[in-house]
Amino acid sequence: MNTNDQIKLNVTEIQRFCMHDGPGIRTTVFLKGCPLRCAWCHNPETQKAAGELLFNPKRCIGCRACEVACENGVHGGSEHHTVTRALCRVCGACVAACPTGALELCGREMSVEQIFAEVEKDRAFYGVTGGLTLSGGEPFSQGRAAISLLRLCKERELATAVETCGYFDGALLADAVDFTDLFLWDVKDTDGERHKRYTGVSNERILNNLALADTLGARIRLRCILVRGVNTEGEHYRRIAKLAGSLSRLDGVELLPYHAYGGSKATLLGFADNGRVEWIPTAEQIEDAKRCIADHGVKIL
Amino acid sequence: MTFYAPNNYNRPIRLSKSTRQFAHDSLDHKYGLDTRKTLGVCLDGLANFEQMTPLEQYDTAIERIAREAPIRICKDEKISGAATLGLAIGHYVPATYREKPIYSSVSHLTVDFETVVRHGILHIRKNAERSLERYRGTEREAFLQSCLHCLDAFDVWHRRYLDALREMPAYESNYKNLQRVPQKPAANFYEAVQSIWFTFAFLRLCGNWPGIGRIDYLLGDYLKKDLANGTLTLDEAREILAHFFIKGCEWVSGGNYGSGDAQHYQNILLCGVDENGEEVTNEVTFLVLDILEELGISDFPTSVRLNRNTDEKLLRRVAEVMRYGGGILAVYNEDLVIEALVRDGYDLREARKFANDGCWEVQIPGKTFFTYFPFDSLQTFQKKTLQDYQGDVAFDNFKALYRQYIKDLEVELLQIFQNIQKKFITAGAPTKDWKWLPQTPCTVVSLFEQGCIEKGLSYFEGGPVYNVTSPHIGGLADVANSLYAIQKLVYEEKKLTLNELLTILKNNWEDNEPLRQYALHHYAYYGNDNDEVDLLVTRILNDFSNTCNSFNGKCGYRFPAGVSTFGRQLEWAPYRGATPYGKRAEEVLAANCSPTPGTDTSGATAIICSYCKAELVRLSCGAALDLKLLPTSVLGEDGLQALMGLMRGFVELGGFFMQPDVADPDILRQAQKDPENYQTLSIRVSGWNARFVTLNKVWQDMVIEQNEH
Repeated sequence: MNTNDQIKLNVTEIQRFCMHDGPGIRTTVFLKGCPLRCAWCHNPETQKAAGELLFNPKRCIGCRACEVACENGVHGGSEHHTVTRALCRVCGACVAACPTGALELCGREMSVEQIFAEVEKDRAFYGVTGGLTLSGGEPFSQGRAAISLLRLCKERELATAVETCGYFDGALLADAVDFTDLFLWDVKDTDGERHKRYTGVSNERILNNLALADTLGARIRLRCILVRGVNTEGEHYRRIAKLAGSLSRLDGVELLPYHAYGGSKATLLGFADNGRVEWIPTAEQIEDAKRCIADHGVKIL
Repeated sequence: MTFYAPNNYNRPIRLSKSTRQFAHDSLDHKYGLDTRKTLGVCLDGLANFEQMTPLEQYDTAIERIAREAPIRICKDEKISGAATLGLAIGHYVPATYREKPIYSSVSHLTVDFETVVRHGILHIRKNAERSLERYRGTEREAFLQSCLHCLDAFDVWHRRYLDALREMPAYESNYKNLQRVPQKPAANFYEAVQSIWFTFAFLRLCGNWPGIGRIDYLLGDYLKKDLANGTLTLDEAREILAHFFIKGCEWVSGGNYGSGDAQHYQNILLCGVDENGEEVTNEVTFLVLDILEELGISDFPTSVRLNRNTDEKLLRRVAEVMRYGGGILAVYNEDLVIEALVRDGYDLREARKFANDGCWEVQIPGKTFFTYFPFDSLQTFQKKTLQDYQGDVAFDNFKALYRQYIKDLEVELLQIFQNIQKKFITAGAPTKDWKWLPQTPCTVVSLFEQGCIEKGLSYFEGGPVYNVTSPHIGGLADVANSLYAIQKLVYEEKKLTLNELLTILKNNWEDNEPLRQYALHHYAYYGNDNDEVDLLVTRILNDFSNTCNSFNGKCGYRFPAGVSTFGRQLEWAPYRGATPYGKRAEEVLAANCSPTPGTDTSGATAIICSYCKAELVRLSCGAALDLKLLPTSVLGEDGLQALMGLMRGFVELGGFFMQPDVADPDILRQAQKDPENYQTLSIRVSGWNARFVTLNKVWQDMVIEQNEH
């Protein structure tokens, strides 16, 4: 059997002192890889499972240290720094040479034990509420390795939460529920057709997994993104309320208004900024959604 | 009538309309502007003034102040007494001779309000008379005569208030209380509040800045008794206490030209154990928190003593008030503070009594002479160790560089010590009875410091039970970061030689932007929970505190080590060169024991972890951590849990003192442009709070920079 030193996870970032990823003070571990391709993705750098190079032109001072360091001719351009990603082998040589931090590698292998050591650093602050939040990407896209981290946390008496899109192999759930104190379960849309159009996958598996998790005794917080003009409608809210009402250990429903920051993150990967201001819901729409759902007796967080 | 709050939080309303109006007027600097109208008394008419001894001059000034200072009775005030002379704001005894203030006044001490409130001024007078008999005919007689003169002056001023109030039926209870206190022991809560305030106001009137100390400890028993007797309700008690805090918050300028415009600045302390180890927290504690929450009063700045057993309910209440921002509440970890004091030689029962002075340094209240000597350890490093970047500096390895720096630090401290030693007549020869050379008169504070009357010696001349002068190291994070960058760039990665680096620094990083960026971004500096650099901070502090301790016993003072800059990082900036970790010359760098602005990128918990790694228990004078939080990170129940978690971690990891503030740099920038609409927006500066709009541009910019995330 593999030990926690040998089991590896592909991590994009470990963020301490997170306040919005579950109760209390959390350390959020972002894992790489996601089966969904949401049009509004807030963390596009976590979509692909493989490592990627991030480039932030705002921090580039044009020193060309990367050009010298790279053996594959990725970096060039005469006036502006250009990145030819097709040539990149994600070796990290340019990142080490870049003085400003304009270049970053997204995705690094860490053992479960190494990750735990990072999470452990803030134990004094967690109290009884805070702890680890596993996020991403879709944490369970890394399968049993993710569960190993959750298990280790529970063995060492640390609270755990998982942010999931719900789209993963349901066979993982039996163990996942055992080692997860709270699921932050995304329901992007309750309309199957729209779900497929905007995320690339059907929501059937997500809802099946949700039902299974509930049967297995999971404590669940539903997280629902509000995208203006896409899912800001009463029928959706009614179905959210119904879904929430069906869960036996519901923590509450959290509404996440769309924001456009994910769009600027896409530029780090070489894509155009796909943030869409017209998708940001108005304050009234947010209140309306809260009211609609709360009217069905569901707790809004 | 609203009091500023971030996030559009509504402050709760518990106080009466008239009390809220009083607060509003006071926070709108109505009374503060009044204080500046009369600067002080003028002694020019005294023909024999120049022939008088300093003590006689001082006594004359105090007597005239008591007789002539304007009496102020604010509309609807429930307690009376006010320090109404403007020179007191400038740290002077408010009396002039030939247009110059005659003496400076005393600050950074917390006086013995416990004796005042429990035994009364008459008790102090009796002690002074007894002591005078004992020392009659000795050189100490003059000081004790001065004590009686100053007590007489206090009586004069007191009678003037009684005379004024007697004619004002609306102030009947003020008059009734002042007929008994502060002369006699307070008999109930209302009298106790009046007793402390009136004595504070007199001390302040005479120019001094006395800290209040542990107000819930001082008042708790009185309130308990009144509540049990049914003579007072909690709501009534809250009103009375609110007036104490409103009177304590007097903004004096209305303009912006410095480090804030509070008249009093004196810290107040809540909670913690008493001398027997029993928790003090009582109804008064929660009333104070109610008042701060409702009125957003940020001067008096208030601190809370936390420990491992701090009750969840209290911690939650503290977090609730803290998240309104304004720097209103700061916290001590008393477990560590008490241990530090015991290690420093204090008896455990004494150590448990600790309070802050007017600022955040700790001392045994009412028993301690205190002063501190700040110095910039970054300049020591740049100008001495690295020879001002001028010469050919060679160190074989990092260890040699570090050793030289500590040697330079020791020289700096020795100079501080030798200057202090000059205050003594018998300096150098070990003795138990150090004798001070005559110092500036300071009789008024001496009345309220145990030991002075008993020994017949003033506050400045060895009177108090404990005499403390604390060297304060500044620029700590900047030196550690500088050393760390050199260790990496020069000795480990060998990117360049030390002399090459120094040439670059001498040229202020000119034409070396890639290397500067590399130094800034490739290493995790102090405040990011990186053991390598945090260990450097620990080593510097250990070497520093060892040197300070080596002076103990060599003159009449103890030399506990402390860490501070207060606002001096501004004054020091023009004298500082470029730093090896990528900052340019003359930048405003780290405050107190906090990270250098812009170098802490791992969040609040990492900052606390870095800070707590130092052996803070060796620094019995204190080391302050400033923690800046965004309003969005303290929203809702999650935000409360976050603040509670931060405080819990701070205690568990062994912090000393932490001053969190909740401020949004965007809002601060808005306030800079539009001061009229942000008159009551207060922020934590260092050991004190200030209305943001009254800071000058340089201070404002520094505060904004510190709040950037």
